Amino acid sequence: MHIRSRLARCIAVVATLSIAAFAGPAAADETCQSPYMAKITGEEEFVYIWTLGDEGIGDGSDKLVTVDVREDSDTFGEVIHSTSVGGRHEAHHGGLTDDRRHFWAGGLDTSRIFIFDIHTNPAKPKLVKTIDDFVAKTGGVVGPHTFYALPGRMLISGLSNDRTHGGETALVEYTNEGEYITTHWMPTDAEPAGASVEKVADGYGYDVRILPRKNTMLTSSFTGWSNYMMDFGKMLEDEAAMQRFGQTMVAWNLHTRQPEKVLHVPGSPLEIRFAWGPNHDYAFTSAALTSKLWLIYADESGEWQAKAVADIGDPANMPLPVDISISSDDSRLWVDSFMDGTARLFDITDPHNPKQIYEKKIGAQLNMVSQSWDGERLYFTSSLLSRWDKKGEDNEQFLKAYTWDGEELRTRFAIDFTEQGLGRPHIMRFGSSRLYDS
Amino acid sequence: MAAIPSLAQHKHAEHEHGGHSAQAPENHPAAAGQFDFEAPEPGTYELPVIKPAPDGAVLDTAGKTRRLHELMAGRIVLLSFVYLSCTDVCPVATAKLHSIRALSAREPDLRDNLEFVTVSFDPERDTPEALADYARVFTENNRGAPWHFLTTRSQEQVNRILDAYGQPVRRRPPDADGRADIAHLLRVYLIDREGRIRNIYGLGFLDTRLLLADVRTLLLEERRAEHD
Repeated sequence: MHIRSRLARCIAVVATLSIAAFAGPAAADETCQSPYMAKITGEEEFVYIWTLGDEGIGDGSDKLVTVDVREDSDTFGEVIHSTSVGGRHEAHHGGLTDDRRHFWAGGLDTSRIFIFDIHTNPAKPKLVKTIDDFVAKTGGVVGPHTFYALPGRMLISGLSNDRTHGGETALVEYTNEGEYITTHWMPTDAEPAGASVEKVADGYGYDVRILPRKNTMLTSSFTGWSNYMMDFGKMLEDEAAMQRFGQTMVAWNLHTRQPEKVLHVPGSPLEIRFAWGPNHDYAFTSAALTSKLWLIYADESGEWQAKAVADIGDPANMPLPVDISISSDDSRLWVDSFMDGTARLFDITDPHNPKQIYEKKIGAQLNMVSQSWDGERLYFTSSLLSRWDKKGEDNEQFLKAYTWDGEELRTRFAIDFTEQGLGRPHIMRFGSSRLYDS
Repeated sequence: MAAIPSLAQHKHAEHEHGGHSAQAPENHPAAAGQFDFEAPEPGTYELPVIKPAPDGAVLDTAGKTRRLHELMAGRIVLLSFVYLSCTDVCPVATAKLHSIRALSAREPDLRDNLEFVTVSFDPERDTPEALADYARVFTENNRGAPWHFLTTRSQEQVNRILDAYGQPVRRRPPDADGRADIAHLLRVYLIDREGRIRNIYGLGFLDTRLLLADVRTLLLEERRAEHD
């Protein structure tokens, strides 16, 4: 077809945005990733696990562990690679760049960031850059936590600061090349930065998620370095320390990075998961200390509101919900709780009235969950924080993989991270060599 | 059977070209009535410097060798990377830029300060002649801001530019009909008059109101600096 006539047709097509060419089979990938990120639409081939080093276990260093999840592979369900970064930095969360060529992993204690090349050889990630001046560059932000892909950039939420080591912190932006761009401090009562405040603006941070259609960015709130690096039992007995937990979520103007409303969500709201549906203007979070599931939603006037919509287990027993994962059709939400080691599945078809429909004890302790886009494969890890994990026999450290048939989780494989000398496994991300084929 | 993984992006915001996305048509952000918000007021927010805009050798529609920096000098630039055979996100981006250029024909402030630069990453097919033909559709109205359509002498030449900007592109083997396919994440770059990248847009950010607000924010920033 002649270019000009084709072009004219393209312009007409754009006017109505006929996009049949985009349709395809729903298949795989994690559901809880940045919408700006390249996406695996076939089955994942590898699971990368950012793992805390543990004294006396293997080399004792934080490391990125690669597990082969290709069912036709001779090494299916096995660790096929491990890259130590040297030392213990309190490995916790990490995230992929929008082009999915690199995995960024943070250390909550030392505030170092490790950037791994996962595209040159997806089966063997390679450490290519370490950012060791994060605190100085960002103006005092400590504890790089969530790594969230933006076009050409990485958005990072902090957990703490170098002045008080409490929970007041900021969002930070870096280029994909690992160069610092800017810092956005969380709104506080003293400096709300133009935001309306429901009850209090504590300035705390934890997770960050985005809904581009509404130009909205949501952040949640955990606690600072002085708590997350404290022994868990000691902290529970320290009344002052227990007061230092987040009780807010902030709705931001995504484009301008300006905070608009500080919502009151007590009990330390952690992971945020926006629904995927084109008209689903809501997100879920779980409050760790109160064991409540919260809905953050745009009301009829478009203003963001927060309300508790369900209990997670029996809050009196403090199950400590730590991670959530939403299904790609917005009908199901997996909730992991640390203390009872249990994964619970909620029917969230009516987001204002979630109902628990299934539960399974995964281990003595449980932390992260990742599910494939089709919801048929789930992966669980065990570690929360090095000083919060259980002790003795209950200190199980594992990656466990399951299939989900709509009724039951069935074991695919399990890896004992202690027995294999690896450490304490935390966040997982999926990889595939087919992303980079030419 | 597993579908072929691709550089496709998640629904409710982004896409890349390719046709292997898990995204259903009704879930495409534009089809779903995307950008359900009020655009910010220009000048009420900051656009931090992201990084210097890289330079590179290119060919204009007359086949003459030019430098990107030479072409960008003295204007605020909206830079995009496309290929002419693309049938989804490239025309979406180009049409949105075209609408801004149409506006610039009516607004002297935009016409005199803004410039569009579009670089092909498929130099083998997108020759200067092909680009000249393509460009005519968008530049017939010469009252708007300038728009440079550019290609390169070789794939290696454009690859250096793509790598420097961080524009992900992946060539796929031809399909059964012999049609070559290029997977890419859509990126549009806002570059200030000093040659610094001030914003990067994916499809989920490519709202003409946001682009205009950002361009006007840069203009206001310059005027405030002149008065200081």
